[in-house]
Amino acid sequence: MLLFRRFLRDISAVIGLVIVLATIVVAIFAPWLAPKPLDAHESHPVERLQGPSREAPFGTDNLGRDVFSRVILGSRAALSVALLVVSGSLLIGVPLGLLGGYGSGWTSETIMRVTDVFLAVPQLILALAMAQLLGPSLKNAMLALTLTYWPFFTRIVYAETRRLKTSVFVEALQGLNASSFRIMFAHILPNAAPPIIVRATIGMGFTILTAAVLGFLGMGATPPDPEWGLAVAESRQYLPEAWWFATFPGLAIFLVVFGFNLLGDGLRDVIDPRLRRSR
Amino acid sequence: MLRFLVRRVLLVLPVLFGLLVLTFILVRIVPNDPSAALAGQNATPQQITEIRAKYGFDRPLIIQFFVYLKQVAQGDFGTSIQSGRPVVTDIGQRLPATLELTFAALGLGVFLGVPLGTLAAVRHNRMLDHVVRFFTVGGIAIASFWLAIMLQLLFAMQLDVLPLRGRLSAIMDAPPTITGLYLFDSLVTGRFDIFWNALHHITLPAITLSFGSLATITRFTRSGVLETLQKEYVQYETAVGYPRWLLVSVYVLRNSVVATVTQIGLLFGALLAGSIVVEAIYDWPGIGSYAVLAIFTSDYKAILAMTLLVGVIYAAVNILVDVIHGVIDPRVAEQM
Amino acid sequence: MRTRSWLVLALALAVALGAGPAHAQSVMVWGDNLPANVDPHALYDVPSSFIQLNVYDNLYRYEGNPPLLKPWLAESYTASKDGKTWEFKLRKGLTFASGDPLAAEDVVYSYKRVMSMNKAAAGPFKAAKIASVTAPDANTVRFALEAPYAPFLSIVPVLTVVNKKQIDPHVKGDDLGFGWLSSNSAGSGAYVVDPSGYIPQKQLDLKRNPQHFAGWGHNPKPIDVVKARDIAETATRVNALIKGEIDIGDSYLPTDQVARLQKEKGVVVQRNESMRIFVIRMNNSKPPFDNVNFRRCMSYAFNYGDFIGVILKNFAERNPAPMPKNLWGYPKDVKGYDFDLKKAQAECDKAKAAGAPINREIKLHYQAQLDQTRQAGQLFQSDLKKIGLNVSLVTDTWPNMTAATAKPETSPDMWIHWVSAYFIDPENWIGTMYDSQFHGTWKASSYYKNAKVDELLRAARAIPEQKERTRLYAEAAKQIVEDAADIWVYNTVELRGVSARVKGFKFSPVGSGNELRWMHLE
Repeated sequence: MLLFRRFLRDISAVIGLVIVLATIVVAIFAPWLAPKPLDAHESHPVERLQGPSREAPFGTDNLGRDVFSRVILGSRAALSVALLVVSGSLLIGVPLGLLGGYGSGWTSETIMRVTDVFLAVPQLILALAMAQLLGPSLKNAMLALTLTYWPFFTRIVYAETRRLKTSVFVEALQGLNASSFRIMFAHILPNAAPPIIVRATIGMGFTILTAAVLGFLGMGATPPDPEWGLAVAESRQYLPEAWWFATFPGLAIFLVVFGFNLLGDGLRDVIDPRLRRSR
Repeated sequence: MLRFLVRRVLLVLPVLFGLLVLTFILVRIVPNDPSAALAGQNATPQQITEIRAKYGFDRPLIIQFFVYLKQVAQGDFGTSIQSGRPVVTDIGQRLPATLELTFAALGLGVFLGVPLGTLAAVRHNRMLDHVVRFFTVGGIAIASFWLAIMLQLLFAMQLDVLPLRGRLSAIMDAPPTITGLYLFDSLVTGRFDIFWNALHHITLPAITLSFGSLATITRFTRSGVLETLQKEYVQYETAVGYPRWLLVSVYVLRNSVVATVTQIGLLFGALLAGSIVVEAIYDWPGIGSYAVLAIFTSDYKAILAMTLLVGVIYAAVNILVDVIHGVIDPRVAEQM
Repeated sequence: MRTRSWLVLALALAVALGAGPAHAQSVMVWGDNLPANVDPHALYDVPSSFIQLNVYDNLYRYEGNPPLLKPWLAESYTASKDGKTWEFKLRKGLTFASGDPLAAEDVVYSYKRVMSMNKAAAGPFKAAKIASVTAPDANTVRFALEAPYAPFLSIVPVLTVVNKKQIDPHVKGDDLGFGWLSSNSAGSGAYVVDPSGYIPQKQLDLKRNPQHFAGWGHNPKPIDVVKARDIAETATRVNALIKGEIDIGDSYLPTDQVARLQKEKGVVVQRNESMRIFVIRMNNSKPPFDNVNFRRCMSYAFNYGDFIGVILKNFAERNPAPMPKNLWGYPKDVKGYDFDLKKAQAECDKAKAAGAPINREIKLHYQAQLDQTRQAGQLFQSDLKKIGLNVSLVTDTWPNMTAATAKPETSPDMWIHWVSAYFIDPENWIGTMYDSQFHGTWKASSYYKNAKVDELLRAARAIPEQKERTRLYAEAAKQIVEDAADIWVYNTVELRGVSARVKGFKFSPVGSGNELRWMHLE
């Protein structure tokens, strides 16, 4: 509770939390919040490229669809990508990191070498190649992102496990003949949790950005998904007249990622004093 | 130091090998067999089978991989299906463009970010600090393609003060090739008209590419300086009467720069990834756009060579960063 | 005195600093898409025609709109009565840009090279079943066909003549010189490739060939250097036109940009009725597309009116049959399909009753770089959902899709593309698209098979008389439309942004007006 109060004192962290919570709420209730939920896939060309008005606060796009509704509906794609990719990466990366850090010999070495291989190329390039192979779609983009994001967690967990392996309490547990599995998951993991949580939170924002880039390049979400990156890509040739088409999805990306970053920073300052950057 | 260097290089080799294996597997699981693309649009199914046999696509994957390794060892990275030229020629022609852009972006990040971060730390919790902190968190939340589009709209179209695309105006000749970096080559050969033109053209792409790293470098410099400022020895020296600016520039910076240097190594990877989007929007003929082209057209020899190249660059930068680390901070060098 | 020496110094400095090209060369910046490489025999698509028409010459050439065949390297031809032997008389004194003489044996060599490379450009000749190509004397080229082929003259312009002497020293193994010719030129055309600074698919410079056989008398101020600069994004290309960074855009100007460009004083929007039909293909070999009622259902479900009228702002002509309506042979009394969801539903119900799997997921592939295909796909998907059909969109690239059409199993369920005027004869469209002998090529990717239509098309191909051919093609077209083999949407009005300072832009459906020798700058 002390932590929570400390957190609340940090204004920017609170703002971040509010943004994230708002996004979650919007995503859950999107079909009810969006004034024209059918515009997720329905086109009415007659109303195309109309500016912001009472009926369409964010205007309409090139197929006459309500941009406001599509931005709201797009939050679902954004959050589901973020959630699925980060949890998937955690599920793969954390156990591997624990094994790599705690074990020794071949298992540990192999795990870390494989991790290095995946980290040897920037994530976007590898994800792009994978997405192209699997065929462009949001599902495959998520798969590609998960398969290229887990090494980041493995690295962190590996470092933490290494550090904790030599600490007194672990020696004590080993003396008591506790199983390695138990030591890793029941004791080391909770202690290594803080940097993982921070990384995961910031990772959510980062994943949304990367998924948007894949959507922009045509390797992620496919039409008619109301995904924000895809919307910006489709909006380009209607600039500068139809400015609303590009601006609002872009702002949505910015706001949500910004929120996750603030939240992650706030969490870092509160739950991991070692990592605390001077305020 | 030399022993450290050798050891690091040796450690990198298995990683690069693993990378090659990974990419080879990825590329060869492609549903669209490159035989059809190689045979051309009119080929009969029988001709495609002939091509498949000729290029060895019907042999087991492992054998194909070792054949490829043998070729690579002899320096033959294959020919691009699309352009008909050796992949090495294609990449070699485009690499300097990306390097120039990346250096420019990094330069912007360092030469703007370090002073900005220091200033913000020194003016802790004042107005400037708050603005800078907002920027450091917001700067990495902006989608680079969106930023590029907006910058183009504002500076190239609305205000019409900067060019829209490319490395040079079409009517301007490229400078004589020395390094392939237009800014450097034009300066060194005295062609100031080309230099000026190239500078104009690299401005928007460099700003777009540097945005994320600028924010990160500013942030890390700021917290590094803040931490050092709070250290006891600095406070002691302040009490004793050393002028503030001297303290900051000499002692504080040197100790906080370590974190920034680490960041640069990581940032290089981010910059390479970012160049994909920037090169697409600004028509920058570098390896970022080449990688996308190769991936979209399943040009498998090009994809393999590109992956290897990127892996090598990335590894080289990381080793370099470690070395600089050791030079700056002797304590780290001792551990090597 | 003092002032004078300062002046001299200043002048010298100005000259030194401003030292660039000495005299005024006419330079144009070409912003259209570049082909993958510049070997004229390796590719055969819209971008490669830029090289084939400007860097190389052919025996006969299409000019104007409507396109007419003009003697080019050849000055005349004769055809035997049975239509199996064609002889072309070359002009005297022809040379390649390198100075080497151009004679009949070079034409023979070029033909052999195209066929050996066996890429897209070989297609029309394979269909013609040419038995042999010989040079009875230095100025005569003789084509001997196995059977009479009526469109033969129409396909002759497809053959570009290359210089054996320049290519031979660079041949590696059995690559036929492709490794070299892909980034150099060995032609006789009005322009030559400047290999320095060539970046495939990014930038290419062409230099004028003053010795071109057709001379430059028709154009007092021809363009000396053409700098082709590829632009990845449509939006950037339009902006570049407005800013004056390029002089010509591509021939797929989005209709939304026309109004914007027309407001700009420095830009002209060229509007030309072309011969390029927009088709949504259906893979007739994959259920439910093998059921004719289902195909009719799809044909009734596309909103032609809104697509052409609203999205394309009427910059297109509704064209419901499988060939352009401004070409002879078009079935004048065929009505085609209109947008009627009730009729669509009725047809789909019939198909379902017959056991066709109409509710399975159907994949519609569109071209990533061409936005119109994406918009058409989204519009179609949205309307198909209203009658309960499940269509998902797949972004794809031209090379991938054309490679996939080689086999009926890998060919997409549906994909969207244009069929441009490669040569002017119904054979270019209906003939090569719906005759089952062409299965395995991208044009015939609907895998349509109808024995009666095959008979009609093969007869039309063999008979030289155009009136009879017209009747045969019209009858075949009627049947194909009744079978709803594909969905034909419109015939293109080509829109291209051209700088106001460019004069002499001569449009032809073949090449889309990219023949440079007519152009000059004001």
